[in-house]
Amino acid sequence: MPKKPLDDRIRDSPRPHAPPIHRSHWGWLVVAYFFLGGIAGGAQVIAALAALVGGKKSAGVARLARYVSFAAFLPCPPLLILDLGRPERFLHMLRVVKLRSPMSVGSWTLVAFGGVAALATLDQAAADHILPRGMLTRRRGWWSPLTAVTGLPLGLGLAGYTGVLLAATAVPLWTKRGLLLGPLFLASALSTAAAAIDATAIATGQRHRGWAPLRRFERLTLLAETLLMAAWLGRLGRAGLPLASGPLALWVHHGVAGLGLAVPAVLGALAPHLPPKLRITASAVALSSTLFGGFVLRWVLVVGGNRSADDAGATFEMTARPSTERKQGN
Amino acid sequence: MTRSFGHEHPGAMGFLTDATLCIGCKACEVACKQWNELPADGDAALSARSYDNTGDLGATTWRHVAFIERVATDEAPFAWLMLSDVCKHCVHAGCMEACPTGAIVRTEFDSIFIQPDICNGCGYCVPACPFGVPQLDQDDGRVHKCTLCYDRLRGGLQPACATACPTDSILFGPVTELRSIGRSRVESLKERGVQKASLYGDTSLGGTNGIGGLNAMFVLNDEPELFNLPAAPSLPQRTTGPAFLATLLSGACFALLGAAAFRATKRGED
Repeated sequence: MPKKPLDDRIRDSPRPHAPPIHRSHWGWLVVAYFFLGGIAGGAQVIAALAALVGGKKSAGVARLARYVSFAAFLPCPPLLILDLGRPERFLHMLRVVKLRSPMSVGSWTLVAFGGVAALATLDQAAADHILPRGMLTRRRGWWSPLTAVTGLPLGLGLAGYTGVLLAATAVPLWTKRGLLLGPLFLASALSTAAAAIDATAIATGQRHRGWAPLRRFERLTLLAETLLMAAWLGRLGRAGLPLASGPLALWVHHGVAGLGLAVPAVLGALAPHLPPKLRITASAVALSSTLFGGFVLRWVLVVGGNRSADDAGATFEMTARPSTERKQGN
Repeated sequence: MTRSFGHEHPGAMGFLTDATLCIGCKACEVACKQWNELPADGDAALSARSYDNTGDLGATTWRHVAFIERVATDEAPFAWLMLSDVCKHCVHAGCMEACPTGAIVRTEFDSIFIQPDICNGCGYCVPACPFGVPQLDQDDGRVHKCTLCYDRLRGGLQPACATACPTDSILFGPVTELRSIGRSRVESLKERGVQKASLYGDTSLGGTNGIGGLNAMFVLNDEPELFNLPAAPSLPQRTTGPAFLATLLSGACFALLGAAAFRATKRGED
């Protein structure tokens, strides 16, 4: 007699269907933080690269990148604090240092990053004569290189740790191909940050010569994001079910892949052939599209993860004993 | 939790919960709620097709008696499977490793304890538990789970659930002792024809996946999945190191790409 597959027996069994693991309570506060934290970190990385290797021609990029980074950073701590069950205890995040806990690493990274981002912004404001001349402006000499050298790793850390945080859980969607989540978050953080800087430049009429490297970097990160996304989605199996069917699948196809990746790529390729007036419009559409796609990526990841946590079959597929062992056990 | 109380380290203490002895009376649930002053779950209505009224472990349900109607197959007849589920008090606990505040600690009894005065309700331990045990309490904003009755153990008493269990389906004691009791119980069950009997949480479970065994073990008489338990779960934080490394490496690649992109300007492009 053929043995009835375990999956069928579980499905048949009329037990009260509580999922074997608990879903996270994370919602739009965390999604917004993932998005803004990514832009903050990514923009600081771009500021550092522009300052360290871009030379004078990229000074405009570095300048805007510092402001964008700090502006995106400012809402991050409030978003995270509001998400706590006990917001008044937010400082408990800094009681201990735990390298095995991505959230502990992330908390410390966020604090250090905030300091560097603030310093970089003050430095820039002094250079732009927004701040009155004084001690700040006189001591500027060593600030710029310092914020660039520390901002680069801290920005990468802030943009990428969130992927590790999701990977180090029992949630099937987050842990199945978890090694790719950090790189995917990084790629998306850098592409959305580049888009945010570029969009700010267009909005304030500063985009002219010297911005080609940023656009080049934008295209490279979008390409990397596309490859990582394809690699990640490709082999999720049952864990990826929430993203492969139902309403979230539409968001993945049209939001993340379509608006986030395809539209900017197509418009980027078309742009040189367009008349100058249309070129700016095309850029604006491509940049908003990139930003929208980046936000949707974080949203489908969080919501999809919660749904996969509710799917007992996805958990049991990942935690099944090796078949040889099961045979021996029986 | 330091050992500054003057107590000698008593060694690992835990539970052995035997599904073959459980009669589903829920005395453990009640005793747990009474001792720990936990509110009732709703109006004690039974869930759709079962005598289960709590449904799942949660912030205010630290023992959950599962009623499972096992469908008849060629191998085994229809049966009621009953099991009092509880926190597994893992040897390497996912919730404790995830906790960013240090609120979750290992006590001198080797149990896993959430300090209510430290927990800030970040909720990260909730999806980080491979067994779905801790839960965020929406009312008081903190995460709660079984404490192995830490306060009772400190006073020399057994956990409330083990004291209340009328059939000794729940045993409390030193883990080494419970493990040998569990192993011989499984042997005896197998001799009597329960071929699928197993000791869930014996070091063989998760030993290779980082969890390293459970201090709260279960004697099961069918596949773990039928009891809503993962057969071979992994410690989620085994991913942390490799995932950080992958992120770091990709970060270095992105930095190099960026440097190349910005470097090109110096050659007078654009």
